[in-house]
Amino acid sequence: MKRGLALILTAFMIIGLLAGCSGEQSAEAEKTKDGKVIVDFWTFWGSETRRPIIEKIIDDYNNSQDKVFVKHTFLPWGDIWTKNLASVAAGNPADVIVNDINTVAQRAENKQVEDLSQYIDDSFKQKFYPHLWETVEYDGKSYAVPFNTDTRLLFYNKTAFKEAGLDPEKPPATWAELEEYAKKLDSKNGDRYERVGFYPLWGSVGASSWMTNADNGNGFIEDGELTINTPKKVEALNWILDWKERLGEKTVQAFQAEFGSEQANPFIAGKVAMWVDVGTFYTQLRDYGQDVDFGVAPIPANEEGSGNWAEGGGFVVEIPKGADHPEEAMDFIEYLTDVEAQKYWAVKNYDNVANVKAAEAALNELEGPDKLVYEATVKNLEQTKMFPVPVEYPDYHSRLNPHIDNALLGKTTPEKALKQAEEDIEKMKK
Amino acid sequence: MKSSESTLVHEEAGSPVTRERKTVESARTKGLSRKAKDNLAGYLFISPWIIGFLGLTLGPLLFSLAASFTDYNITSKMNFIGLENYKRMFTMDDLFRTSLFNTIYYVIFSVPLTTAGAILLAVLLNHKIKGMKFFRTIYYLPAVLSGVAVYFLWMQLLSPSTGLVNTMLGWVGIDGPAWLFDPEWTKPALLLMKMWSVGGGMLLYLAIMQGVSTQMYEAADIEGASPWQKFYHITLPMISPIIFFDVITSTIGAFQIFQEAYVMTENGSGGPGNSLLFYNLHMWNNAFEVFDMGYASAMAWLLFIIVMILTAVNMKLGKRWVHYEGGNGK
Repeated sequence: MKRGLALILTAFMIIGLLAGCSGEQSAEAEKTKDGKVIVDFWTFWGSETRRPIIEKIIDDYNNSQDKVFVKHTFLPWGDIWTKNLASVAAGNPADVIVNDINTVAQRAENKQVEDLSQYIDDSFKQKFYPHLWETVEYDGKSYAVPFNTDTRLLFYNKTAFKEAGLDPEKPPATWAELEEYAKKLDSKNGDRYERVGFYPLWGSVGASSWMTNADNGNGFIEDGELTINTPKKVEALNWILDWKERLGEKTVQAFQAEFGSEQANPFIAGKVAMWVDVGTFYTQLRDYGQDVDFGVAPIPANEEGSGNWAEGGGFVVEIPKGADHPEEAMDFIEYLTDVEAQKYWAVKNYDNVANVKAAEAALNELEGPDKLVYEATVKNLEQTKMFPVPVEYPDYHSRLNPHIDNALLGKTTPEKALKQAEEDIEKMKK
Repeated sequence: MKSSESTLVHEEAGSPVTRERKTVESARTKGLSRKAKDNLAGYLFISPWIIGFLGLTLGPLLFSLAASFTDYNITSKMNFIGLENYKRMFTMDDLFRTSLFNTIYYVIFSVPLTTAGAILLAVLLNHKIKGMKFFRTIYYLPAVLSGVAVYFLWMQLLSPSTGLVNTMLGWVGIDGPAWLFDPEWTKPALLLMKMWSVGGGMLLYLAIMQGVSTQMYEAADIEGASPWQKFYHITLPMISPIIFFDVITSTIGAFQIFQEAYVMTENGSGGPGNSLLFYNLHMWNNAFEVFDMGYASAMAWLLFIIVMILTAVNMKLGKRWVHYEGGNGK
């Protein structure tokens, strides 16, 4: 008797275990009770500020029609894409997902996203900034729709400008001016810096941005050609090294180690007078730096007239390969990237949206410093370059960055570092 | 059959293997039904584990072995490319070399340092002094804490200008390095952090030291042995099985270092100049950043082979210095 019971119990355990494997699919209902198709939308926007904004947009969409019901799934940054890939491989992906703008081609090449060409015509494409639309095209087809983007600006402290005898309405326009201003803005107590005028690697900017800025906006790979070891890029690295030498390794490290966000942000705390960051940095200034009298300007040009090139990033919405309801998903994507939703996102986040009309409409709704900063970022999009990762060189960053690191750490010269980087990356071409 | 069975029983009576064999044998002689049913029930009871093992461990293991000979990228490709992935590691991927070097550097320093540190701590904490329980708790505490929170704590402690470590070095007139910002010091910084949590190993050593018979020390005292002689000739041999165990497990653990570098370097990049790009981090990047799962699988198998060889060497060498009380260690 007992043995019989044991056998039955064990059998149940096995059945339970096996059922667990297939449970997920059946648990996910395809339709709501009132017959709407459920579209699963994955984002990483779970923060207190962003979540209500995206959920309001989703609610508006759900109320606007009676065929589709969008369900928002929040997945933390970092997990979302790994999980997406696993679910594509398992044949059970989300219907819509927010993904990185610079790697759409990789996913198209590896058959991880649906081709959206059949839903997209020229009038649809023209709603978006052309440099953003380029990132979603691969082999003549469209694989995603741009959602938002960013650009980098120079934030400067007007109070510090006045103290240093500089005109607060005249931000530096060239690298030479930037240096000249920075020296005036430095303030020292004995040997210790109390305020650093500027340091090129602080803020949301890296060596690669300066190298691009110097090189007429050219990235490291242009039209399949490697443009890493160029005279202007070498010059840019040398320029960064000059800053480091002037301030001293110790000062740079000491400042850097103490940087935080919000109140502890060095620009907000007044420890650094000029600071390059993305447009949304403004929300930190607004919330934690009420006393900071600041101005914004494009990143200074390498030389007069060479262009205030900035590096841009951003996100797209796309349909993972094998999604169950591509048509309904596309209907939602169209809503999400149309003027109304995009304008709402822009006004609430001061984020640069991909839809041109929405960006302009948002400008009309904003006022005061909100408008000032947003206008500057929108204007700056013209001089913002995107650097989609070419499919031939999927992880060129991991080869390039250590060489740049080594040059900046003084282990090798910029000339040698970039030459070596170009050779290394040439080797890994697919 | 009978004679061999009886010798077995005679030699190793009580070992579970023998006992099981005995029941199987006797089941055969007595008629299958009852015992077979018993066995069946037993197998059914462990079947969740067996299924789990086959499905969740052995299956993926073999799959990754197969994948290591392909260009598998999770979603679309799985073409057989022979030994191409393995060739690529040695001929084309210089980050592979960097990561292997970093990992071996870490293993070579961390294993002896943490082992010696744990033994030293255990010896110190093995004295019968008032309040010792308090110190034992204090030294063990770091082993309880774990994960990302600890790494963040250390990032603050190691901060070049305001961190406690450099502040304390400053008191004795030493101008501390930039630790995690300086490629020359990143690995020592991790070793320093590792030393802080030797309490886990210490507890094992302390436990076995408490079991060492006091008679031996008393005898040594009568012979006039110095504390060092007592340690070298009594304590060390008596705790050698645990040292052996500790060295093997911590070698395996050190080869798998990942989290520290992933959390403590910017964007999990492997630190300034790739100085903290460890083998597993490089493998992870290949698998989940570039989705080159075939290559990552090949890297995983190579690591498996390296660790297996090292463990075998350890086992072989272990026979020379590990002392098992009252037996040959089998």
